[in-house]
Amino acid sequence: MVGPLEQAILALMIFVIMLGMGASLTPRDFALALKRPYGLGVGVVAQFGFMPLIGFALATTLPVSDTIKIGILIMACMPGGTTSNIFTYFSKGNLALSVLMTVTSTVFGVILIPVVLLVYAGALDLDIPRENIVVTLVLLLVPVAIGMVLRKVSANVGAVTEFFGSLLALFFILFLIVSWIPRNWEFLLATTWGTYFASIMLGLFGFGIGYGFAKLLRLHPRNARTVALETGIQNGPLAIAIIAFTFSGSEAQAVMAVPVLYSLFIVMSSAALTLWFRRINTAAEQPLPNGLL
Amino acid sequence: MANDRPWTAFYGPSVPSSIDDMPYRSLGDFITSIAAVYGDLPAFTTVLPNGMNGTLTFRQADEMSDALAVYLRDIAGLQAGDRVAVQVPNCLSYPVAAMAVFKAGCVLVNVNPLYTADEMAKQFIDAEPAAVIVVDMFADKLAEAVKTYPVKHVIVTRVAEYLPRLPKMIVGMVQKHWDKSVLPISIPHIRLPDAVAAGRAKHDSLHNAIEAYRSTISPDDVACLQYTGGTTGVSKGAMLSHANILMNMAQTMSLITNLEKGREVALTALPLYHIFAFTVNFLGFYSIGARNILIPNPRPLSNLKRAFENYKITWMSGVNTLFNGLNNEVWFLDTPPKYLKFASAGGMALQTSVAERWEQVTGKPVLEGYGLTESSPVLTFNPFGQVRHGSIGVPIPSTDVRCVDDDGVDVPQGQPGEVIAKGPQIMLGYWRKPEETAKTIQNGWLLTGDIGTMDADGYFRIVDRKKDMILVSGFNVYPNEIEDIIAAHPDVTEVAVIGVPDGAAGEAVKAYVVARNEGLSKDDLRAYCKEHLTGYKVPKFVEFRDELPKSNVGKILRKDLRAQEQAQAA
Repeated sequence: MVGPLEQAILALMIFVIMLGMGASLTPRDFALALKRPYGLGVGVVAQFGFMPLIGFALATTLPVSDTIKIGILIMACMPGGTTSNIFTYFSKGNLALSVLMTVTSTVFGVILIPVVLLVYAGALDLDIPRENIVVTLVLLLVPVAIGMVLRKVSANVGAVTEFFGSLLALFFILFLIVSWIPRNWEFLLATTWGTYFASIMLGLFGFGIGYGFAKLLRLHPRNARTVALETGIQNGPLAIAIIAFTFSGSEAQAVMAVPVLYSLFIVMSSAALTLWFRRINTAAEQPLPNGLL
Repeated sequence: MANDRPWTAFYGPSVPSSIDDMPYRSLGDFITSIAAVYGDLPAFTTVLPNGMNGTLTFRQADEMSDALAVYLRDIAGLQAGDRVAVQVPNCLSYPVAAMAVFKAGCVLVNVNPLYTADEMAKQFIDAEPAAVIVVDMFADKLAEAVKTYPVKHVIVTRVAEYLPRLPKMIVGMVQKHWDKSVLPISIPHIRLPDAVAAGRAKHDSLHNAIEAYRSTISPDDVACLQYTGGTTGVSKGAMLSHANILMNMAQTMSLITNLEKGREVALTALPLYHIFAFTVNFLGFYSIGARNILIPNPRPLSNLKRAFENYKITWMSGVNTLFNGLNNEVWFLDTPPKYLKFASAGGMALQTSVAERWEQVTGKPVLEGYGLTESSPVLTFNPFGQVRHGSIGVPIPSTDVRCVDDDGVDVPQGQPGEVIAKGPQIMLGYWRKPEETAKTIQNGWLLTGDIGTMDADGYFRIVDRKKDMILVSGFNVYPNEIEDIIAAHPDVTEVAVIGVPDGAAGEAVKAYVVARNEGLSKDDLRAYCKEHLTGYKVPKFVEFRDELPKSNVGKILRKDLRAQEQAQAA
């Protein structure tokens, strides 16, 4: 369903996109997020507390097979995905917090993913591939750091990189949707409603609970939007990779169904949520005189 | 009057009590002399919301404005004294255009870029410009306006002018295809870079053209027709001479003693077509070799974020609205500017609560000044280190300010009276409006129409506009005082106070409030006012609004509220 060439192209695209993201950041942004680790803590709790719980609830209530249930659970226990950074950027959320949350949840994931999986799936004997996690981190942090340096060297180079990075990000999202669906048409037709429901709702519940939780704790709207996207958006490719390494044959294909469908639908629902977030962000902008000030 | 300038005691040791000799004959002389000193240092930098930017050095700005001056005089055929309208937001084209007009011996007419076609036409009919330099975003309105008043020469520029190629291309693409803010231009025109190139080529073939234009300019020639609505609504062009502007710049800068030549970075978020930014930001900071960060559009305020992140801003100017806005921006509170030495406020009353909050946030004071378009504009300023909140400070060197009654007699010290002022910065008069001039300048004194008080040290306070004063049962009530109190309420974002007709009492106080918190009630607000104000000053009427009418510089327009009130009553 996801070939090696596709994965390589995706990796390259994410690299360029993250370069652009980095060019929109300064070290001060990270210092600030670290100085107030509240938002960060909220994110970890939402990621590994709420998401697995949602996954567990979906797996136990929906009429799906055991292999699909495993897929749901694995998907629910994943750390934040890099696409959350892209959507946070377009939502005018707190990008530095988003990047930090993705990194933190990935690092914590090494310990927490097996623990929560153990708790919820009884004794699912899973081996978390560490090299995948390292790759994710490098994919994320190296281009961000390079982008930040570019901006420091020249604000113009930074702004141009950011501009093309964000153009590419939009293209990337379209590419994901347009390229994958036609080639997997039969699989889509053969899938039951329960699998669809779990794949779509995992992300939507994640958004809702992440946002509600952040609001309840009175995080700034910018940070609340970030936590919502960070909670709902899981690292789909990591789930697929983990399954590919752990299961084999037709079982692997069946377990993979939810992560694959999740990855597809999360792009669409995040895009919709981002549009809405942008609208409320504009509405919350301070009204200033209708002139050049 | 023996000690008729008590305020000079607060000037600080290095500040002269008067500025006697004119350092330059004309603005053109000034621009070129300064460029010779600071040469390759950055003079102007346009910063767009995404951080894209472009810079001109002192030498470049000087050379380009020379070339454009030659274009105006020797190619377009303008004469000394011809008016040139400049309708350009803050960007690199602005200094090039304005400097060129001065060097050519022409008269600069600043036009608000946001004017409608009708407003533009009205101003053109009055000023009769021979040429207009306009930004492409507003060229469609110009096309309408020139149907009423044909302007012979149109020079078109763009916000991203003189940015590096790639950013310029991206901005151009976005403006054309994404936000569609630039439409095709239907009237004959030349692009600014083409005009500069043509002028440069011509300049090379002429001998000392610029010196020749400049030699005919005398200090008392008109440099600027600066239009002001005043509060009467009739738009008038204040004739500011080269000497007026140069003196005011020197007077104002002499009072600021903690700046380092060639090392300051000034943030210019206020539009340069406004006289405050024009004299102080543009010319004043140019004179000390500062780098001017030009913000084309500060709305929304997040447009300023990259400028604050990427440049070590050491000084900025603003109006109350801007400071209040920044005080409420999360990114600004998170990372207040580190290198800021102080900020200057003008254009409208700076509310004490806003000034105090600003000082809390940035750790640096905001100094309030006062002036009018008619005085080029600065009359008074708070000296650094001697700030008094709620005061417009002391008269700047070579300036006399008094408070007088209706007969022109000085009121006792501390009593309110109309502020009148005299100094080298007072305009020559209104363009082609001798009666208006006679009403405004009497015996060499400029009547400001503002009611103020002076304390024993010579610090002035503006109590209010003469015509905004409210008469409640024979008591004078000054809207500013009430606005200052209400603005300090934590649930209030903005407020405007006017007088409305009210049977027995004659007039009653009415407050228009933009609330931060929907739960705020009229009774809460009135109770709060009662704690801080005498009974007759407490607003009898309170109305909540989503926003208040404001001028292009962010001044709250009480006259618009009064007009709405009258329309409702009728």
